[in-house]
Amino acid sequence: MANTACFMIVSKNDIPIYEAEVGTVPKKEDAAHQHQFILHAALDIVQDMAWTTSAMFLKAIDRFNDLVVSVYIKVIHTRLMLLHDSRNDDGIKSFFQEVHELYIKTLLNPLYLPGSRITSSHFDTKVRALARKYL
Amino acid sequence: MIRPPRWQKVYSKLEVDFSSKKRERCCKLDINAPDANFWDDLETKIMECIRNTLDRRIQFYEEEIRKLSEQRFMPVWNFCNFFILKESLAFMFEIAHLHEDALREYDELELCYLETGKQREFGGVEQGDDQATLLEPARKPLTQIVHDDSFREFEFRQYLFACQAKSMLPFCMREVWVITACLALIDATASHYKDGLAAPDVEKEFYRVQGEIYTLCRTKFMRLGYLIGYGSDIERSPVNSASLSMLPWPKPAVWPSLPSNASSEVLAKEKMILQDSPRPKHFGIQRKPLPLEPSVLLREANRRRASLSAGNMSELFDGRPNANDSSGPLSPLPKVNSVSMSRTFSSPGNFEGSIDRPMRLAEIYVAAEHALRNTISDVKLCESLSSIEEFEQKYLDLSKGAANNYHRSWWKRHGVVLDGEIAAVYHKHENYDFAANLYEKVCALYAGEGWENLLAEVLPNLAECQKIQNDQAGYLSSCVRLLSLDKGLFLTKERQAFQSEVVRLAHSEMEHPVPLDVSSLITFSGNQGPLLELCDGDPGTLSVTLWSEFPDDITLESLSLTLTATNNTDEGVKAIKSTEAIVLRPGRNIITLPLPPQKPGSYVLGVLTGQIGQLRFRSHSFSKGGPADSDDFLSYEKPTRPILKVANPRSLVDLAAAVSSALLMNESQWVGIIVRPLNYSLKGAVLHIDAGPGLRIEERHHFEIEKHEVGTQNMTNLDNPPENLSPVSTGVKQLTLEDGKIKLPDWTSNITSVLWIPLRAVSDGLAKGTPAGFKCLRLLRRTIAVHFTDPFHVSIRVADKCNDGTLLLQFLKDAGTFRYEYKTDRLSIKVILQSQVKASLAIYDAWLDLQDGFAHAGKGDGRPASSFFPLIVSPKSKAGILFSIYLAEAPAKDEAKELQPVSILNIKYTICGSRNLGAHTPVAEELSGPDNDKAEHLTFRSELVLQRPVLDPCLAVGFLSLPSSGLRVGQLVTMTWRVERLKALEEKVASDNLDEVLYEVNINPENWMIAGRKRGYVSLSTKQGSRIEISILCLPLVAGYVRPPQLGLPNVDEANISCNPPGPHLVCVLPPPLSSSYCVPA
Repeated sequence: MANTACFMIVSKNDIPIYEAEVGTVPKKEDAAHQHQFILHAALDIVQDMAWTTSAMFLKAIDRFNDLVVSVYIKVIHTRLMLLHDSRNDDGIKSFFQEVHELYIKTLLNPLYLPGSRITSSHFDTKVRALARKYL
Repeated sequence: MIRPPRWQKVYSKLEVDFSSKKRERCCKLDINAPDANFWDDLETKIMECIRNTLDRRIQFYEEEIRKLSEQRFMPVWNFCNFFILKESLAFMFEIAHLHEDALREYDELELCYLETGKQREFGGVEQGDDQATLLEPARKPLTQIVHDDSFREFEFRQYLFACQAKSMLPFCMREVWVITACLALIDATASHYKDGLAAPDVEKEFYRVQGEIYTLCRTKFMRLGYLIGYGSDIERSPVNSASLSMLPWPKPAVWPSLPSNASSEVLAKEKMILQDSPRPKHFGIQRKPLPLEPSVLLREANRRRASLSAGNMSELFDGRPNANDSSGPLSPLPKVNSVSMSRTFSSPGNFEGSIDRPMRLAEIYVAAEHALRNTISDVKLCESLSSIEEFEQKYLDLSKGAANNYHRSWWKRHGVVLDGEIAAVYHKHENYDFAANLYEKVCALYAGEGWENLLAEVLPNLAECQKIQNDQAGYLSSCVRLLSLDKGLFLTKERQAFQSEVVRLAHSEMEHPVPLDVSSLITFSGNQGPLLELCDGDPGTLSVTLWSEFPDDITLESLSLTLTATNNTDEGVKAIKSTEAIVLRPGRNIITLPLPPQKPGSYVLGVLTGQIGQLRFRSHSFSKGGPADSDDFLSYEKPTRPILKVANPRSLVDLAAAVSSALLMNESQWVGIIVRPLNYSLKGAVLHIDAGPGLRIEERHHFEIEKHEVGTQNMTNLDNPPENLSPVSTGVKQLTLEDGKIKLPDWTSNITSVLWIPLRAVSDGLAKGTPAGFKCLRLLRRTIAVHFTDPFHVSIRVADKCNDGTLLLQFLKDAGTFRYEYKTDRLSIKVILQSQVKASLAIYDAWLDLQDGFAHAGKGDGRPASSFFPLIVSPKSKAGILFSIYLAEAPAKDEAKELQPVSILNIKYTICGSRNLGAHTPVAEELSGPDNDKAEHLTFRSELVLQRPVLDPCLAVGFLSLPSSGLRVGQLVTMTWRVERLKALEEKVASDNLDEVLYEVNINPENWMIAGRKRGYVSLSTKQGSRIEISILCLPLVAGYVRPPQLGLPNVDEANISCNPPGPHLVCVLPPPLSSSYCVPA
C-alpha cells in the first residue's frame, strides 16, 4: 500500500466533492493543505490533457517532487484524482475503475444531487477498502 | 566479603560470551548516580570504540591492498579484486566523512588502473552513455559490471570521475547551478521569441515552459534564501510549503563550517532571529505555520558535520544562544583532542576538532552564507542573496515571472496561486491596495471552485487588507465568507471573532452602507410537515425555520420574508415582517411571523431580508433542512416547496335549521341551528342572531349548544336508544346572548354543533324565518327558514242534518267558513283536527265559543256532544270533534257592540315531542310558579266563521239531463236548462207579469262551439213556480271529461240562485265515430 495517497473526486465545476487521505502514513497536521494544493494545481494540466487524449486513465500527469498525480476522467467530466507516491500503475487503474463504478452507484441514488458533496459513509468505507486493496 | 550482587553475575556471563582477549566488547555503566562527567565519559568511550574499530578495519584493508599492489605486475593479479578492496576502503572513508582520504584512494585506484594497462574498448554502448551523467553515480550498477569483468573504459572512467567529483562538490552547487541555468534559459528563450510566436498552441506551451522554469528557479532560490536565514521572509503558504518541504536538503559531503572570523555576522543573524517574530494573523487566527523545510535544518546541518558529537539535544535544538553559551562558537573541548584520530594524510575541513559543539542556527546560516559565496560565481545571484531586501526583490521578480507566464499559458490555477504569493509580499510591505486586488483573484478562484481548505488560508489575509484599507463592504463580505466556510476549518474562537467584526461594523456608522448577502450564513425553509393552508382572507402565523451558521447568538433588529405567488407572477412579492428583534441561536431556529391576509394561491418563500444593527442583509438560499452541508452554490438546484396555500373563497361554515318540520306558533320553541364548520376552525367565532319579523327571541332563557349527532333524528323513535345518545357526547352547554351575539365556545370550533335558540313566533301567520349572521372576522350571512304553525289544521263539516233532506253545503274556505242554504233547527258540526306537527298532541278539552246567531244545543256549555278526553292525536293524523248547535235568533242591530262576528274553537292540549324532530313542549317559563298545571296545558284557538243561512233563493237553475246516447265530438247536442222561479218577484209585480231575465251561457271555446244566442233575455213570469227552459245547440270539440256549458244569470245575485247540480260538474264526450268512407275498396 502506498505511503502517501490522497484521493479526490472533482466535479465538472472543479468543485471537490469527495476527499480522502488513503495513505498509510498519517497525514501531517502542518501539511494539511499541501495535497489539496497539489491536486488543485494539477487541474490545470488535466484541463490541457483532457482534450488531447481519449483515454480515461491519465497516469502520472503531474509530479511534485516524489509525489505523482494520476487522473481518471469520466464521461461527464468528473475527475478522479489520486496523488500518490507508489508506482503501481495497474493497481491505480484498477482502483480508479472500481471507484468509478462506486461513484456511478452513488449517482443512481435518487437522493443524491449530482454535483454535491458525497457524504455517504458507505462510499467512504468502500473507497478506503479499495485503496487498501489496490494501492 | 559481600556477595556480589546479581547483576554482577549476569555481567560476568555476558563478558564470557562476548568479550575476547583481543577485543573488549562489554562495557559496564553505572547509571544509578551519574555524576556530571558521566555522559562525557560515556561519549568518549563510545567514540573511542568506534575509532578503534575503524582504525582496525582500515589497517586490515590497507594491509590487504598493500599486498595486492605489490603483486600487481604478476600474472595472477586480478584488477577486480584490487578494485573491490580499494573502493571499499574509499567508501569506508566516505562514510566516516574522511573525504580527502576517500579521494586519495580513488586517485590511487585510477593510477593503478592506468598502470596496469587494462584499457578496454572506449565509447558508448547504450543510449545515454555519451552524456555525462555526472550527478547520477548510480546510473549503472558499476560494481556488477566490474564483477563481470565487462566494464568499459568510458563507463569506468566516468564512474571514477563521479566518485572523485562527489567528494569535491562545493556547497549547494546543484541549487546554484539550477538557478543560473534557469535564469539563462529564460533570458535566452525570451529574447529568441520576443518577436512573437507562430501558433497559439506553441505560444501557450512556450509560456507554460517559461512558467515552469520560473517556478523551479523560484523554488531553488527560496531554498538558498532559507539556508542563509531569510526563511522568515518566505511566506509559509501552501505552495511554498509544498515546494520546499518535499524538496530534500542539499546533501553536501560535509556541511560547511563556520569561518573563524564570523562572530560578528553570527551575532547579526542571531539578532535577526530574535527580532523575527511571526506576524500575528488577523482575527487572532493561530495556526501551526506550514513547514518550509523537509526536516529540521539544525539537525540536518549538524548531522552532516564530520564527527560531530551527539551532544546535548537541548543544546542542539536551541538555535538561540543563551547568555552562558555565547562565549564563542569555536572552542573545541580540550579533552577531545587527546582522542582525535591520527590520520596523517587526511585534513579535511574541521575534521581535526572532531568533537565539536553543535552549530547553532545562526551559525548554520552564516556558515552557509560563506559557503555559498564561494559556490556562486554569478554576481547578480550573489547580490540577490546579499541582503534581505535584495532577496525579496528577486523573489518577487521570480514570482511575478512565473505568474505572468502561467496566466499567459492559461494555467490559471498555477498563475493565481503565485499571484497570492506576490500579494503576500505586498501585504508584508503594507502595500494593501495591490495585495487586496491580488488576494481577491486568489479567493475568487478558490471560492468559485469550492476548494475551501485553500480558501481558508488566503481569505483572512484579504480581510485584513480590506480592513486596513477601510473597505467596509469588502471586509464585511469577507467576514461573512469566512463564517460560511466549513466549520472545521476555523476554531470556534476564530469564528466568534469573525462574527464580532460583523456585528461591530453593523452597529457602527458606515459611510456607504451596503446590503450584505448572507445567503450562506442564514438559510431558511418552511417547516417540515404539511404546508400552511389558509382560507381566503384569513390572517395566519407563518412558521419558518432559520438556520444560523453564526457561531454565537446574533440579534436581528428586524426580519422580513418575501412570499412569491407561484401561480401568478405579475402579482409581485409580498413581504411579511417581524416587528420585534429576533435573536438567532446557532443552528436551527424556528420563528413565527404574523401573516396578513393573502390572496388565494400558493406561495413559496422568496428572499429573507433584515437588519443587524444598521446593516441590511439579504439571504436567498433555502436550507436543505440540515446545517451539515452549506453548499450554497448548489442551492439554486433545489426545488422550492410551497410554504403557504391560500384557498379560493369558499364558505367556511354551514348553517342549517336543525328541524324541517313545523314548530308551534305562539309558543316559545327551541329553534335549532346546525353549525357545521367546513374544514375550518370556528375558534373565536361569533354568531349574530337577528330574529326575523314576527319572531321574538326569548332572551330570558339561556341558549343551548350541543354536539350534533348525525342520525339522532332517525334514532329517536326507535325503542333502543343507540349509544351515541349517551350523555357525554350530547352534553348541553348553556350560553348567554349578549347584544344579539353569541360567542361560540372553543370546543365547538371543529365539530358540528347545534345551537338551540328559544324563539316565539308572535304573528298569526306563518313564520318568516330567522336570519342568522355568522361572524368570524369575516361575515357569513345566512337566512334560515323556520316554519311555525298551529298545532291543528281545522276544518268543519256539517255532519248531520236534522230535518231537511235538501241541504246544500258549500265550503267557501278551508278555514271553516261555510254556509248552507236552508234554515235548519239543529245541526251537528264536525270539527276535523289535523295535526300539523311531528309530535303527539293530547287534547284535554275543547269548546266552541259561538258567534252571534248560533247557540249550543245540548248542555249548552260549548263542549262536544260526547266526552272522550284526553284525545291523543298522533303526528299527521286526524281527529274529529262533533259539536251540536242550532240557529238562534239574530241579535238586534243596535246591540252591535256585543256582536261577535266569528266563532272560536278553543282546544286545551299538551304536546309531547322532541325538539330534534319538530314541535315540542314550549320552553319552560322560568316564572311559571305554582300553577304549573295550567302552564302545561296549552290553548289553541281557531276562528270559525259560521254564516247564517241564505233565506231567499228566488230562482233555481237545473241542468237537464243529456241524451242517453252520450256526446260525441262533432255531433250536435242540445243543452237545456230549466229556470224556475221559486219565489214570486214582488218588486216588479206592478209593471208586468213578465220579468225579463238575462241569461248567459259560459263555455270554454276550446271545448265547445255553440250555435244560437249565447246571451239574451227570456221572459219569466213573476209568479212563484213559473218555469222556462233555455236550450242551446252545442258542438263538443274535444273528447274527454269536460265541463259542460253553464248557464248564468248575470242580473240575479248569486245568493238567490239555487243550482242543480250545485257545483261544477263534468260530462263525458266520446271521440268522433270512425269514418269508413276512406276505407271503402275501390
